[in-house]
Amino acid sequence: MALLQIGAQRSGSVSPIATFANSLFGVAETAVAATARGTRALGDAVLALPSLERENAALRESNRRLTQENARLHELAAAYAAESSVRPVVDLYHGIEARVIGFPPENESRAVTIDKGFRAGVVRDQGVLAAGGMVGRVAAVGPYSSTVLLATDYTSRIPAIVRRGRWWGIARGNLSSVVVEYLPQDAPLRVGDVVVTGEGRSFHSGVPIGTVNAIERGDGMLYQTAVIKTFVDLGALDRVVVVPR
Amino acid sequence: MVRESKQHVPPFVGPAWYVAGAWAIAALIAQATLVHYLAIRGVVPSFVLVVVVWYAIRVNARRAAVYGLFAGFCEDALSTQTGAAWMISTSLSALLASRLSRGFFADSLPLASGITVVATLLRALIFWVVMALCGYPSGLGALHFHEAVLQAALNAATIVVAMLLTRRFEAAES
Repeated sequence: MALLQIGAQRSGSVSPIATFANSLFGVAETAVAATARGTRALGDAVLALPSLERENAALRESNRRLTQENARLHELAAAYAAESSVRPVVDLYHGIEARVIGFPPENESRAVTIDKGFRAGVVRDQGVLAAGGMVGRVAAVGPYSSTVLLATDYTSRIPAIVRRGRWWGIARGNLSSVVVEYLPQDAPLRVGDVVVTGEGRSFHSGVPIGTVNAIERGDGMLYQTAVIKTFVDLGALDRVVVVPR
Repeated sequence: MVRESKQHVPPFVGPAWYVAGAWAIAALIAQATLVHYLAIRGVVPSFVLVVVVWYAIRVNARRAAVYGLFAGFCEDALSTQTGAAWMISTSLSALLASRLSRGFFADSLPLASGITVVATLLRALIFWVVMALCGYPSGLGALHFHEAVLQAALNAATIVVAMLLTRRFEAAES
């Protein structure tokens, strides 16, 4: 073995015996070092236990505070997004911003109650918009609240125009959607045509209502009817704008 | 000899007027704000009618009618579009509920749910008749009938749940 070692040293290489021994020691060293590190870490942990408890409590408290703050910020961000979505409508029409606060008790009509009344300047028959387009019109006004009749209500009637060809009709609610009736029979309507308000009691011309979703046309009919998909989800209203006429 | 007989006056077993009033107000507020989110195919359970029936089956017809009138008035005030339709229909429904419950136990679940179904259907019928007389456009009769049937089922379920909860609380208290 000594001769092998001397020979390997002279030739500038490592002998196989030394390589084997090195490998064995390497494994042992690794195991011992790992054990020592683990033991030291365990010792440190035991010694640091009281401070770790304090640190853990502080982190828990910090986590609780941050979670609460995160929830509040999310709520603020949602409120800001909702408010900023109707801000352009308020600026464009010099309207009165309002929030939906109630519904008809028995859902017998499609209407909502908003938190602004005549003390805020709301007047009966004024139009009501949301970020996407038309919502309905003010049907009744109190001092601090008003009732808005939605475009989907069965008694709602609003002048409407199919924008592509300026074809006039009457937008009527059928409880679940809006249909535009009395459109000329020869008007070449297409699904996807945009429908806007016509000049009327509650709205100026050009307020978006929705797009044509289906067309009902019969040979024996004088007029055709278009079923409209409204731009605004009238079942999920939150912030609206009452626009002066 | 003339034998004098006193008119039979049934004992009053209903809650105090302020308790009943508080229930009606609470039901109205819930009806106008929260119940909307429970809508099934556009139909909501009527907590107001459930409270009215719950009161009406415990008291005489006059009290029931007055209570129904009050609840209906509040609903008309909140609706703003219904004139006096809820007043008339709710009052008459309460009257019917009170008459139907005579001779039965007021805390009977089948009785309460059955009367609720009848009262809901009658109330819807009277309501839409009054609305039609006041100029509401016609053409939705079948839809209103379907809505009334669905609401009757929802109301019956609501009053059963409410009575079971009440029993549970009363049992826990005693």
